[in-house]
Amino acid sequence: MPGSPRHHPLQGGWLRRAREFSGFALPGLFLYGVLVLVPIVWTIVLGFTDRTRFEPQTGWAGLGQFSRLFQDDQFWLVLKNTFVVTLIVVIVPNVLGLGIALLLNRESLLYRLLRSVFFTPVILSGIVVSVIWQSLLRPDGVLNAILVDLGVDSGPRWLSDPDLALYSISGILCWQMLGFCVVVYIAGLNSVPKELHEAALMDGAGPLRRFRSVTWPMIAASVTINTVMLLISGFKVYEHILVLTNGGPGRNATASIAFDVIEKGVRGDRIGAAAAEATIMLAIIVAITGVVLRLLQRREVHV
Amino acid sequence: MISRFQVVRPVFAVALTALFFFPIYIVVTGMLKPADEIQSSPLGLPAPLTGENLEAVFGREDGLFWSSLVNSVQITVLSVLLLTLSSAMLAHYLVRSKARWTKPAMLMLLSGLMIPPAVILQPVTQVLDAVGLMNTLPGVVLSNVAYYLPFGVFVFAGFIGTVPVDIEEAAGIDGASRLRMFWQVVFPTLRPAAASVMIFLGVWVWNDFLSPLVILGPESGTTVTVGVYRSVGEYSTNFGTLYAFSFLASLPVLLFFVALQKQFVAGLTAGSVK
Amino acid sequence: MLTFETPNLPASLWDSAIARVSAKVPGIKIKKLVTPNVDRTTYAKQLASSGQLPDIMMAVNPQGFAEGGQLAEFTPEELKDYAYPESGAINGKIYQLPTNAQPQSLLYYNKDDFAKAGIGKVPTTWAEFLDACAKLKTAGITPIAVGGGGQDTFASMYAWAGVLATDVFLQDPDFNKEIKSGARNFTDPAFVKATEKIAQLSKLGYLDKEGTSRSYADHEKAFRAGSAAMYPMGSWFATSVDNDKPPFGVGVFAWPSDDGKAVVPNLTGGGISVSAKAENLDLAKKFALEWTKDKETADAFTKADGTFNTVAGYKPPADMGPLFQETLAVYDKAVKDGTVTPAFSIEQGDNGLPAEFTVPIQQIAVELLDGTSDAATVAKKLNDEYAALQ
Repeated sequence: MPGSPRHHPLQGGWLRRAREFSGFALPGLFLYGVLVLVPIVWTIVLGFTDRTRFEPQTGWAGLGQFSRLFQDDQFWLVLKNTFVVTLIVVIVPNVLGLGIALLLNRESLLYRLLRSVFFTPVILSGIVVSVIWQSLLRPDGVLNAILVDLGVDSGPRWLSDPDLALYSISGILCWQMLGFCVVVYIAGLNSVPKELHEAALMDGAGPLRRFRSVTWPMIAASVTINTVMLLISGFKVYEHILVLTNGGPGRNATASIAFDVIEKGVRGDRIGAAAAEATIMLAIIVAITGVVLRLLQRREVHV
Repeated sequence: MISRFQVVRPVFAVALTALFFFPIYIVVTGMLKPADEIQSSPLGLPAPLTGENLEAVFGREDGLFWSSLVNSVQITVLSVLLLTLSSAMLAHYLVRSKARWTKPAMLMLLSGLMIPPAVILQPVTQVLDAVGLMNTLPGVVLSNVAYYLPFGVFVFAGFIGTVPVDIEEAAGIDGASRLRMFWQVVFPTLRPAAASVMIFLGVWVWNDFLSPLVILGPESGTTVTVGVYRSVGEYSTNFGTLYAFSFLASLPVLLFFVALQKQFVAGLTAGSVK
Repeated sequence: MLTFETPNLPASLWDSAIARVSAKVPGIKIKKLVTPNVDRTTYAKQLASSGQLPDIMMAVNPQGFAEGGQLAEFTPEELKDYAYPESGAINGKIYQLPTNAQPQSLLYYNKDDFAKAGIGKVPTTWAEFLDACAKLKTAGITPIAVGGGGQDTFASMYAWAGVLATDVFLQDPDFNKEIKSGARNFTDPAFVKATEKIAQLSKLGYLDKEGTSRSYADHEKAFRAGSAAMYPMGSWFATSVDNDKPPFGVGVFAWPSDDGKAVVPNLTGGGISVSAKAENLDLAKKFALEWTKDKETADAFTKADGTFNTVAGYKPPADMGPLFQETLAVYDKAVKDGTVTPAFSIEQGDNGLPAEFTVPIQQIAVELLDGTSDAATVAKKLNDEYAALQ
């Protein structure tokens, strides 16, 4: 391709450049600024105040909200829950998704249909998925009825056992995200050139070795995409918790950090405290994004 | 391939998929059963079929389903159209412009990809309140456009980078106005990217919960997704109707998916094999 | 107008009452708004946060709203017809009409189960209560139903509120005030001792722990299906039974205490609040007052929800069912004996705890029911949470 892709016609007189800017870039940038950047800054500022909904006076609290959060067991619990959910949601659908992708990576009507089935929950809303699962996981719900038929004394208390509820929610999220991973992996697998496989076969490589040395390096990009997507979904989990357990059973047993922020700031009165917690959330995201971006960039060099 | 696997594979694949599909099966059959049968035989096929659950949702006294459907359609269509336009143009500008600030601007946008709505919701309501857009449909649409803009820009920018710049230059020499040049020459080449942007954002906006819940609020109605949430309490002992509402609320995106399945996959693929 | 729906209070009941009362207040136009779950206070907060506080709100805890100047105050003149015109006051002022008294909770019980387990008379002391539980368990019957699943965390409170009434509030009705002033805290021996009673019930396997994942409606349905012998619940369950009888006889008794006093935790309030920013404040207030005065509406709610209307001179309809009459008798006796107490976490106003403390308390109650936290842990958690709210 002749010329560098950065060399382009957006140049000319000052007036023309200004007109172009206001036509092409300004509307989007303005909205983004007013409804995303300003709110971010506002949240950070509010985190340093003692604002509550009904108190007319708002004063500076310095680092007060933060130090209180750090001393609050509940905050650490909520943070721990968020990391547990995120970790499970990043690992399980990734691993299972790859397995199922290998299983379903065949071209026929049957396999196409099966792939669509796996993808269906991905396009459902978290609310709908949670409503469905809540009805299945009730103490006398369908799932436990089946378990009892299979000879179990009494089914697990999926959503009311404090040791289990968080894993039930994570499992539901995994169910919802699995199809996404399957489809992305199948796309990745199909990008592996057939000749490479054939060459490896000629060399007498077994299925395992072929997977490790041919397939795996080629689907690395799929792994990144899935991981990023799952990280985002896991970290911001809110609706599932709201519908399935409302943060219980027990104090914040399944509350995530997003849930706690909404609970305090939108459904409760403590706007300052919620903003401080949101700021911490933001800091964690910045850290995660930094790591992920670095990984992405490194990959681009490789491919 | 190994021969014994040729038989085992489809059987195993079907069994596994059936297991995975189980919850959806319960919903789809459950909504066609009378209430007592959902309890007594949740697994069985609905026979005879009953439309009473679907009718109960359609015929709600408060018209919640229909009014929220209208809201959802309006919000989704407007948001997606505005998003596609603004993010395509912004991405084009940022990729092609030689100004020095575009790189940090791009980075700033991309970092917005990861911001959970919970972080900014409270201030967003105050901004919208200040300009009188709180509790209005345009308020939800604008907040959607702002929030999802990074995704659109991300997809378009990646794509524009692969389109040769020559045609644009040629058109520029012809003296076509920049805007006309963009629509007539550039945008048609971006169609695959536009398809994935529209598909993904369509599904996401349709399924959005928090922002319509809080920004639209009850007075201006709800979206269907919020409608399902609002009726959970009401139907807590009537799963058939709850299933019917959930199903109907998801039906538009499901049809959308069936119709555009290829493009869905293409959208995902574009990212993974880039 | 913000309303909420429960199995006892379906949409039709609200609609007809709204139509009837609107007709008495010329010029008013009411738009009904239903909360997504029974927790209308949290929902009202969420609405307030987006600037859409409804003009008229049914049974929303006025705390926070009132101090923030969001609610209109009712004058003594407007309250002259009420039997307890100072109930639920906030800084001495009334922001929610003290429309009715509602015992919550009482112990409703399955008479067939009691007979099967050989329990001749209802327990009046705590020792007898434990004995009854033991007999039930031996007979293979789960003694006590508990709730609080999903969105309906509130239903977890009714057992705990009972023992706190007998062991804390009966001796010291101002316990909540002393918590707020800092004179006492939740590690107070009386509070821990009462809490210990629930912990013990849990440990002995007397609670139906599956209930903590049931929605409120499922909770009631499960008891009606015979899941447990006793059902600690508010008085509205009486009318629910009278209107739709389960396949077994249901009786009621007050909370047994160590020394045999029959204690009834109770909330007087539950009426309408009016937003200070209502477009037409006078009209909205008039509607609120008419709502309670309207005999037909009062009757309808009494019949549906088992509330005891506290407008002076009100008599419940003569055809109220037997369990309602029984419940009213238990309440009237407690009033006479002076054993009516505030209900923990349910009481509002100057004599209640901050509204935002309610959900944490309910969630901690689930830990108690479930046995994941013992009494000492619960007390400490309450102290920590309360401190975090300050």
